Amino acid sequence: MSSSATYPMDVRPAPRRSEPIIPSGVLGMLIFIFTEVMFFSGLISAHAIVKSQSAGQMWPPYGQPRLPVEETALNSLALLVSGIVLVLAWFAYKKQASNARIPLLLATLLGTVFVAFQGVEWAALLAEGLTMQSSAYGAFFYLIVGTHAVHAIGALGGLGWAFFKLDRGELTSTALATVSAFWYFVVLVWPVLYWTVYL
Amino acid sequence: MIGTGRVARLVGTLAVGVLFLAAFPEAVHACPVCFDSSDENRVAFLATTAFLSLLPLGMVASAGLWIRRRAKEQDDGYVDPNRPEP
Repeated sequence: MSSSATYPMDVRPAPRRSEPIIPSGVLGMLIFIFTEVMFFSGLISAHAIVKSQSAGQMWPPYGQPRLPVEETALNSLALLVSGIVLVLAWFAYKKQASNARIPLLLATLLGTVFVAFQGVEWAALLAEGLTMQSSAYGAFFYLIVGTHAVHAIGALGGLGWAFFKLDRGELTSTALATVSAFWYFVVLVWPVLYWTVYL
Repeated sequence: MIGTGRVARLVGTLAVGVLFLAAFPEAVHACPVCFDSSDENRVAFLATTAFLSLLPLGMVASAGLWIRRRAKEQDDGYVDPNRPEP
């Protein structure tokens, strides 16, 4: 028996108009993030292989500067806090859009501090002789950390755009969720990279 | 009909070719870990192969389950406005 038989002809229901299960912007961003996860996984795997080939030898190689583990740990804290603040911005937005201004701005500023400190760290390491050509260690450091920095800068651009839209009262929840998803990716992949490259 | 001289030349050419190939055995690797037989390297190859194989499957499965759960939540919360009273 077809479902239409349960209704009299004059009260047949209108076609169901449900909301999408996932907004298109968020779905697109998730697919993009999947590809990025695989990209970073490839880099991490290549690093693991090269590091394993140096078993029994020094790693970092002799003559190469040590990475600033403690300073970067503090900087990582700024990045993690920015992710938490962005979650607070989301909940504030759900209550009232204008409430998200301060946490969104704070998350963007903390992310900017992270990227700026990474730039300072790079300048110091370059001055100490760690370059892309100096060793496989240097090549992987700049490749992995640099790739993450490029993603962080792109995500910060997204957060800045969201803040601009919010300031004009034009930010939709889908747009905020989309840029936030990318920033969460940048935040969550960093501890893995830190553990891989610095420790 | 092929003459004896031609057969001899063919065999000679093949022999030179085989000797030429045999002179460069290091140019051919049967597997990616053959150039380094250390345990650490072999474990790294196995671990990263498993990691890169399972990660996409895990992500797709997680996304599928999440979408299914959201769809179910949406279906459960849906009330047909035109449904007649029983």
